[in-house]
Amino acid sequence: MRTGDYKQTYGELVALIDSPPIWLWSAVLLMALIAAPYALNAYALSFLMIILITVTGALGLNILTGYTGLISLGHVGFLVTGAYAYAILTAKYHLPPLIGFLGAGLVPALASLIVGAPSLRLKGLYLAITTLAFSFIINTVILEMRWLTNGARGLSVQRPEILGISFDSDAAFTYLCLGVATLTLFATLNIRRSRVGRAFVAIRDNDTAARVMGINLHAYKLLAFVTSAFITGLAGALYGIYLSFVSVEGFPFLLSIEALAILIVGGLGSALGAVLGTVLIVLLPEAARLVFSFFSAQLDAVFTTGAQELKSMLYGLVIILFLRFQPRGLVGAWHDIRRAWVNWPLRY
Amino acid sequence: MQYLLQLLISGLAIGAIYGLIAMGFAVIYKSTGLVNFAQGEMTMITAYIAWTISTTVNGNVVVVAFGAILAAILLGLIIERVVMRPMLGEPVFATVMVTIGLAVILRSAINFIWDAYPHGLDVGMGRDIVRFGGIGVRTGQIAVIATLLALLTAIWAFFRYSKMGIAMRAVAADDRTALLMGISASRVHALAWAASSVIAGIGGVFFALSYDLSPAMFQLGLKAFPATILGGLDAVLGSGLGGLLIGITENLAGGYLGSGMKEIAGFAMIIVVLMIRPFGMFGERDIERV
Repeated sequence: MRTGDYKQTYGELVALIDSPPIWLWSAVLLMALIAAPYALNAYALSFLMIILITVTGALGLNILTGYTGLISLGHVGFLVTGAYAYAILTAKYHLPPLIGFLGAGLVPALASLIVGAPSLRLKGLYLAITTLAFSFIINTVILEMRWLTNGARGLSVQRPEILGISFDSDAAFTYLCLGVATLTLFATLNIRRSRVGRAFVAIRDNDTAARVMGINLHAYKLLAFVTSAFITGLAGALYGIYLSFVSVEGFPFLLSIEALAILIVGGLGSALGAVLGTVLIVLLPEAARLVFSFFSAQLDAVFTTGAQELKSMLYGLVIILFLRFQPRGLVGAWHDIRRAWVNWPLRY
Repeated sequence: MQYLLQLLISGLAIGAIYGLIAMGFAVIYKSTGLVNFAQGEMTMITAYIAWTISTTVNGNVVVVAFGAILAAILLGLIIERVVMRPMLGEPVFATVMVTIGLAVILRSAINFIWDAYPHGLDVGMGRDIVRFGGIGVRTGQIAVIATLLALLTAIWAFFRYSKMGIAMRAVAADDRTALLMGISASRVHALAWAASSVIAGIGGVFFALSYDLSPAMFQLGLKAFPATILGGLDAVLGSGLGGLLIGITENLAGGYLGSGMKEIAGFAMIIVVLMIRPFGMFGERDIERV
């Protein structure tokens, strides 16, 4: 009878996936996602696009908050800079979309160096407050720099055409999002099992101890900021393309909260958690609407009039309930279920 | 000169409101070690309740004042008992995230209970203009500055001399030792939440008197943040004074550099303050060991 994990080499310990069935199921999921744009209607497909874009953004935040333990309340700032960088480069200066995407990653990464600098001295709540301040400052800066950003009027963005392939249709754009999300997932998983990732986690667990062990706190904290902002900026560019219009109003502060809610619901510090959390948080308002409309048409009407408010209320409620009853998130719940299944009828 | 004085006076008045809310932050931080991200929303709810009372009793000042204070106490106690107490002993990160969740819920609750339109709180006073040598000041503005100073003194005396105040300081300094000394931490927390809700609520009501009630009022909490960082998160008096400073800075920046700067002056200031003195002007530096 199997009683535990037998890992005899370091290679096995850091393997991306340690059992063949998981490879199989991941492949099945990927196949399903590739087939999805042809099977789903336009409404469901828009949800799939949002999920894939949000996964990218959530994975970006996960590097900073989940791995390195630096709380950011201003991640929407990186999202909006990424979107604007892409829009300005492609719509205003007519550069190719690939350069646009590169800019969408690099500009927030540069901005993150400015935000990250205080993080070398601050931690925990103080850092959260600085990032919060950053996201408000960036909004004002964007509104004031009218010659570049069109101010409050915003910029409209076209769906891109990369290397001769047009991503104009919804299905094609979904594939673009799927590609970026998958690459990001592999990138974060690989960062986590590398030397850099272990340094991040050491800083999260106890930064004074990490420093004593020879980890350069300044370099690694800034690296976490830059990586996280780069990925989040890419997600911002994709979101801007999805909205086909980039403006400050399109990126409300609620998105920062949503991103944190995703990490908490999924389970902090886990890439799988970020994915699960995204699926739950994105589909939650829709699921709640379905449940309510099942009971009465009146409640359904409330949902259409106060959609935005109900959405934020649900996020708040989900954050509180998960922190109270399942602090390890969906990943923690999944681990518990798996252990119960393997060990049944014994407790452990 | 006239312009500068006018800016200074209105800066002091708005600063006093920030100061009151910042004191709300500091009271909770001092006794529970938490930053309450829902402070702005709690302020807003108290102001809305005051408005509801004022419309039903035709703006009787005494009734509105007592009603608002009572509502604020209840709000603080309910939030502490229902939301915060179950989180006792959990990591700070989790508890602070709970207050963020709470903030989002309260904010949308206001849109459902009341509406999304701006309202003026009218109690028949506070909007008259008094002139001091050519500078117009509203009575409400004088009242809020006076209230801030009075509360600052009262709270200083409370923490310095009263038994409960000393108990709160003990819990803040070391909650486990305080528990061993027979201090009820949960009672201290409940008192802190109620007190913070009242102090910030007074600020909110004054804001509604001078300006307007609207669902965007929760931003007061964000504006008061810099004040409490400047003064020191664990310094109640410092936060009050920090509010005045932030109010003046913001108004001067708005008056001389443009309205965009007014919005971010406070935030730019906290980033600088956090870089130089992360524990604020009057806060205590904490030393960390592995």
